[in-house]
Amino acid sequence: MVLRDVVANEKRNAFMLCNEAIVRGALESDVKVVAFYPGAPTSEVLDTFNDAVGSFDYHMEIATNEKVALEICAGASFAGIRSLTAMKSVGTNVASDALFVLGYTGVRGGLVLVMADDPHAHSSQSEQDGRFFAPNAYIPMLEPSTAQEAKDMVKRAFEISERHRVPVIVRTVTRVNHQSGIVRLDGIDRKEFRRVKWRELNEEFTTLGEGARQKKLKMLKRAEELATEFESSEFNYVRDAPSDFGIITSSVSYLYVLEALKILGLESKAKVLKLGTTYPLPKNLIRTFIKGLAKVLIVEELSPYLEREVYALAKDTNPAVTIYGKWSGTFSEAWEYNPNLVVKGIAAALGMSAPDYDSIVDDAKKLKVALPDRYPTFCAGCPHRGTWAALSQALKNKPHYFSNDIGCYSMWIYPPISHADSSLCMGASVGVANGLSNVIEERVVAVVGDSTFYHAAIPAIMNAVHNGNKFTLIILDNSVTAMTGQQPNFSTDFTAGWRQGKKVSIENICRAIGIEFVEIVDSYDAKKNIDVFKRALDFDGLSIVISRRECALYGDRNKRRKGEAIIPFYIDTEQCKKAYVCMRDFYCPCYSIDETDKKPRIAQEQCDGCSVCSKLCPFVAVKRTEVKP
Amino acid sequence: MSFDIFLCGVGGQGLVLLTSVIGNACVKAGKRAITGEMYGLSQRSGTVFVHMRVGDDAYSPLIPYGAADVIIALEGMEALRYVEFLKKGGIILMNKRLMHPPIETSKLLKDKQAKYITIDEIVSKLKEWTPNVAVVDGLSIAKESGNLNAENTVFLGCISVLKDFPLEEKFIRESISQVVPEKSIEQNLKAFELGRKSAYDSLCKLVSCKQV
Repeated sequence: MVLRDVVANEKRNAFMLCNEAIVRGALESDVKVVAFYPGAPTSEVLDTFNDAVGSFDYHMEIATNEKVALEICAGASFAGIRSLTAMKSVGTNVASDALFVLGYTGVRGGLVLVMADDPHAHSSQSEQDGRFFAPNAYIPMLEPSTAQEAKDMVKRAFEISERHRVPVIVRTVTRVNHQSGIVRLDGIDRKEFRRVKWRELNEEFTTLGEGARQKKLKMLKRAEELATEFESSEFNYVRDAPSDFGIITSSVSYLYVLEALKILGLESKAKVLKLGTTYPLPKNLIRTFIKGLAKVLIVEELSPYLEREVYALAKDTNPAVTIYGKWSGTFSEAWEYNPNLVVKGIAAALGMSAPDYDSIVDDAKKLKVALPDRYPTFCAGCPHRGTWAALSQALKNKPHYFSNDIGCYSMWIYPPISHADSSLCMGASVGVANGLSNVIEERVVAVVGDSTFYHAAIPAIMNAVHNGNKFTLIILDNSVTAMTGQQPNFSTDFTAGWRQGKKVSIENICRAIGIEFVEIVDSYDAKKNIDVFKRALDFDGLSIVISRRECALYGDRNKRRKGEAIIPFYIDTEQCKKAYVCMRDFYCPCYSIDETDKKPRIAQEQCDGCSVCSKLCPFVAVKRTEVKP
Repeated sequence: MSFDIFLCGVGGQGLVLLTSVIGNACVKAGKRAITGEMYGLSQRSGTVFVHMRVGDDAYSPLIPYGAADVIIALEGMEALRYVEFLKKGGIILMNKRLMHPPIETSKLLKDKQAKYITIDEIVSKLKEWTPNVAVVDGLSIAKESGNLNAENTVFLGCISVLKDFPLEEKFIRESISQVVPEKSIEQNLKAFELGRKSAYDSLCKLVSCKQV
């Protein structure tokens, strides 16, 4: 990331990740309050604000969860202050309780919610289609295709939000968030941050009973006004062509459509309607577009959100038009699209031949027969590896149910470890453990990270205390929200912008709510910890072990800042008796086997010097190097 | 026509920084660029790739199958993992270095007969796709530059000498100086230069390169 570009008060072009362009758009809009809970693919929005916090006067919070983040923004907005939050769409599930009500109460200062869907579940537990939040909550939604458009839409979203007194969703997908492109920087003209006099505003943001009923009517009227406004929005446009074949599309699919038309030589032979305001939809624009068409193809990822509307509109406007999309079998509701799939879809709708992409993939597959998979894995020095080394020993011969959660430790489900009975959503490991502990014979073991503990696990833990549910919970405290890029959370002394924050003690919370068995171990003490885990598993009640050691990448960063060296380990091949304890059930990516002497080797440039493997070796053959390489 | 580069490697090798350097050079050269970037679940040691497209008619952030002009693989195996993106007869610039994933090592632990995949096996498979496969000893060249982490810049040096590469050398140098951390600018410029030089001994014997 080039922070220089994000903060520059200049008018020029810059190469930016879409998530950075979103930040730039918000800064150009003079945003004053931002709050987030990190989640891929939006985490870089948080990170960029985190890095730029010293350059501007906005207030930033890394919140407990997405609901609190949205509520922080709502509070600011009630006082007339512009605010922005960004979250993955499964995070919007958590925030939705507040979101639906904000549709009723309305807001004052512009409030923008960047919501990212993750078609293909690249880094999510589901392929949820978040677009349905918008019509369900009567909240307007804009959908960019490129980084430039994302910036433009964020700026426009603030204006719409203030004009219509409603939060605005800017909905992205992974291939938009994680797309870089050339972005035109406008200047940054910011006013000084000043506290507001609430007594001068005289406005209420409540909704209940009769109040809610009246506000529902207002909300419907607002939706009508927005629909009218969006008919002429600059974000909806038609690429015209002398043709009776048209394509309706939005988001990243629009870019795939353009690429596909180029490949098929149809650039001037198909009309394209690009939709940027996807709630409320510009129905008249769609009607005009499909009038006179013989065929229309809908290209959108996930659910048939646009397609359903086009069917409804075609019924009166052009019942003869043939509609191609998901319901015709041309496209699937599963997985993300790409240019190849869209080429195929367009060719199928037109009954023409397309490049044979399947044979390209098949040919490639034949070459890859001997290629090993590279699953996501734990970094060298990751404390979860140390925890697993001990926990897996303690669990041996102990029938159990393993309840996993959302975080780096989710990767225990991947081979070669492949260990988990369930894994749902943030904090659910503990909720599920409550249910299981009363219905199965085996001991239930739940694991949760520090950030997930604060985010959603605490209510479920209190539930276990109050109801006397007996299971073991292992809290993997690595100080930061590691998986999304080591953002500070309540388990560090830092808060947004790496400024001083107050640590919220996990053990104090656990003890205060009445848990008797709370033990704290160092994740790197793999041998010693086996016994602690065993006692926790045998404890007749709710037992908690906090396995604590900072995230290796975060630790490396701290070491670099302090000028400390990372000193790797090596194998003393004289001492090594090939017990492989350093490797078995441990799977550190630094390790390989030398094929000549069949002894382990450590890749020096990858080793983090965590020492766990050296503690496991019975022959003291894993040694710390004496000089910095 | 766009110039499409498929960059791949293993988490921690600096693909994102490399993307920034190329993209920033495009701004200087007044070229349009678009990328599709995938950093997976794991911060380190997982597979990472970036679709990097330079040119006015590159619309999609993803390169269609069989369309990339070049694959740059900072880790040898990853070149083979994504070979379907390369056009037939395209260029593969790959690292000599293999980083064996834990799952491969675990097979060697279980089965005494099992062997690691070798760089020669990978190259021979890749040659069924294209004759233009150049293997670069990225790590030793990076070592020579004084910065073990500069493998990414070594590869940028190699690719920059290609006749069809759309960016002038001076823009890339300027971009490196702006994008990489200040204390490693000099080492990266050196890595870039060493990469360029090494290309004339290997890559340029396979495909046409810019005149020295």
